[in-house]
Amino acid sequence: MFYHVARLIPAFAGLLLMMGSATAADVGDVATGKLVYERYCMSCHGEQGNGEGEAAEYMSIKPRDYRQGTFKWRSTPSGSLPLDSDLEHTLLNGLYATYMPTWKVLDERSRRDVIAYIKTFSPRFTTEKPQDPIVIPPDPGYSDASVKRGGAVYQKYNCSQCHGAGGQGDGPSAHELKDDWGNAIVPYDLTKGHVKCGDQSTDIYRVFMAGLSGTPMPTFADSLSPTDAWDLVHFIQSLSPGYAKNFAGTVASTGDHQ
Amino acid sequence: MARKGSLQSVLQLAVFAVVMFVFVSPASAIPAFARKYSLRCTACHEAWPVLNDFGRSFRDNGYQLRLGKDDTVTAEPGYWPVAVHVVPTYQYTKVTNQTTDQGVKDIGSGAVADAGMDLLMAGVLTKNISFLVVPTGFASDGNVHLESYWAYFTRVIKDSDWLNIRIGQHEVDLPASGHRPLSLSDNYVLYSYHPGVPGGSNLSAYDMGENQRGFEFLGHNATDLTRYSIDIFSAHDSLGSQNGLSSPSFYGHFQKFFRFKDGPISEAEVGVWGVEANYPTQFLTSGGVPIPGSGGNLQASTRYGVEANVWIGPTVAPLHLDLVYGHGSDKKGLLLTADGVTTADRNGTWNGGFFEAIWVPPTDMLHWSLFGRYDFVRNQNQPLLTAPSNYNNVDQWTLGVIYTFAYSIRDEVAFHAEVSSNKAKGIGYAGLDQRTDNLMLGVDFAY
Repeated sequence: MFYHVARLIPAFAGLLLMMGSATAADVGDVATGKLVYERYCMSCHGEQGNGEGEAAEYMSIKPRDYRQGTFKWRSTPSGSLPLDSDLEHTLLNGLYATYMPTWKVLDERSRRDVIAYIKTFSPRFTTEKPQDPIVIPPDPGYSDASVKRGGAVYQKYNCSQCHGAGGQGDGPSAHELKDDWGNAIVPYDLTKGHVKCGDQSTDIYRVFMAGLSGTPMPTFADSLSPTDAWDLVHFIQSLSPGYAKNFAGTVASTGDHQ
Repeated sequence: MARKGSLQSVLQLAVFAVVMFVFVSPASAIPAFARKYSLRCTACHEAWPVLNDFGRSFRDNGYQLRLGKDDTVTAEPGYWPVAVHVVPTYQYTKVTNQTTDQGVKDIGSGAVADAGMDLLMAGVLTKNISFLVVPTGFASDGNVHLESYWAYFTRVIKDSDWLNIRIGQHEVDLPASGHRPLSLSDNYVLYSYHPGVPGGSNLSAYDMGENQRGFEFLGHNATDLTRYSIDIFSAHDSLGSQNGLSSPSFYGHFQKFFRFKDGPISEAEVGVWGVEANYPTQFLTSGGVPIPGSGGNLQASTRYGVEANVWIGPTVAPLHLDLVYGHGSDKKGLLLTADGVTTADRNGTWNGGFFEAIWVPPTDMLHWSLFGRYDFVRNQNQPLLTAPSNYNNVDQWTLGVIYTFAYSIRDEVAFHAEVSSNKAKGIGYAGLDQRTDNLMLGVDFAY
């Protein structure tokens, strides 16, 4: 009897593989997304999506209030709504050093559903469309010369005012910053070897150009040239051995890097 | 005949003891993690205390989310990695065909159980080194023992999740955790079953659901959830042999998961598992008493099998079906006849398993969980040629419902109602079948 059952296992596995090749629907189910949200998200972000879940008052970095439709990590320009893939990026990667963990263990269907539900908290998603993703030119490659130039860019754009001369998040304004909801917020310590919104060089570049909506970190898209931005990326990468550096340079990347 | 009746009474008492033991066996849910990471119990538990994908990954990662807030020095100062779990319940148990001085009797009795308590202490010591210590007991007998104690080293080789090492007393990586069942009035028969010799005894105490002392090597993929576990341990409740591991035993488990983007099935899993637990059967003695650690002539209790899980509907509120099927064998040298010296005629072999269904209805806040399980064992080769072919065959079913009043980032409290029935062939008075029925109503809470 045992062997009869054992023989069924490969057939069962094959059947599952065939079922797994089904085409994915693009749009999540809001009703199921609500259940996903209640199971995983509500304790921080609140039942109303207002960032006032039961855990929020104990958090030094407050959960995001979804009602304004503003999100830190976007591939789209500052002020724009995010793409669904941007929200999924945050689900997949979390936000380092905050309470937002990575949810990459969740199945794709659950991620899709909860994104659909999160979008119901802001009316903007029904009246606006996200703008096109910003274009990220090729990484010219990490080099000492680029790091040196990036240091000058860091000074020129007064990054040290918040992030400090050494990038440790201890600039003169560090303790005066507030987010869009009036909560105290501290600049990121860039020497940790991780960046909140992703460790890839393109992630760091994107922060300069798209900003972190809802936080004091502005967009520099109108003033920072792509060359200067890449030098600044390399300067930040020089602050910690934890950053993966690309000495050879990379092919161009668009905003959608999923 | 009188001797047979006496031994049957012992067996009946043993069955009753097992029933009472599983009444108070712990189901581990650890609110300390909820406090530390501000996540509700539902983040890790499909239906408390059964783990979901996120919870399993969190456990495999050594209770780390790996976003810079795992280490004790990065957690909030008020965080203390201790949780308490208690299950006060009313329980009624009836056992049929028991041998008494007044003849064969059915005995039923109910009471608020003498519940114990689990102190669940677990967390991260430093990056990629975590721990679990669980003192349990604290009931009226005053006994406390360490159910679990281990240190767990994750990402032993660079940033790879494919080699993590656990050392200490721990539960092996079972198809369905014996310490996390939804049912409280019984447990998985497959894990603790041994073929029976009428009136005899078994030198193997091996129970798959018991925690073991040894080393576990575990690997997993956080994306596709593929997992393996290899365990090398010294089997529990052994007097010990003259070997490097006093009761050398080996367990292996491999799981492959499948996820579906559309259709009624959201996730499925298949796996294989197997164990060989060796117990000594001959000892040096002192005054006729076996000397611990002096054993030899190791004999094996072997179990191996397959498993399949299917999640129908969204994984967040699924109908979860779990089938586990296995083959078991106890060497005849382990199986002693009624005289306590003579061994059985042949190895005892059997097939068994369980089919379990867990349903989390898609209601607001996911308050409800319903579950049912059917366990069975069918003997293949009776150790004694003279024994009836169906002797000690087991059928057991369990039905239950859990309503969680509240789960927060601090605690969880649930109402738990359950009925179960276990029928074992021929182990009652004069070879009658014996049935054990349970009713349980209680509150399961942890904070």
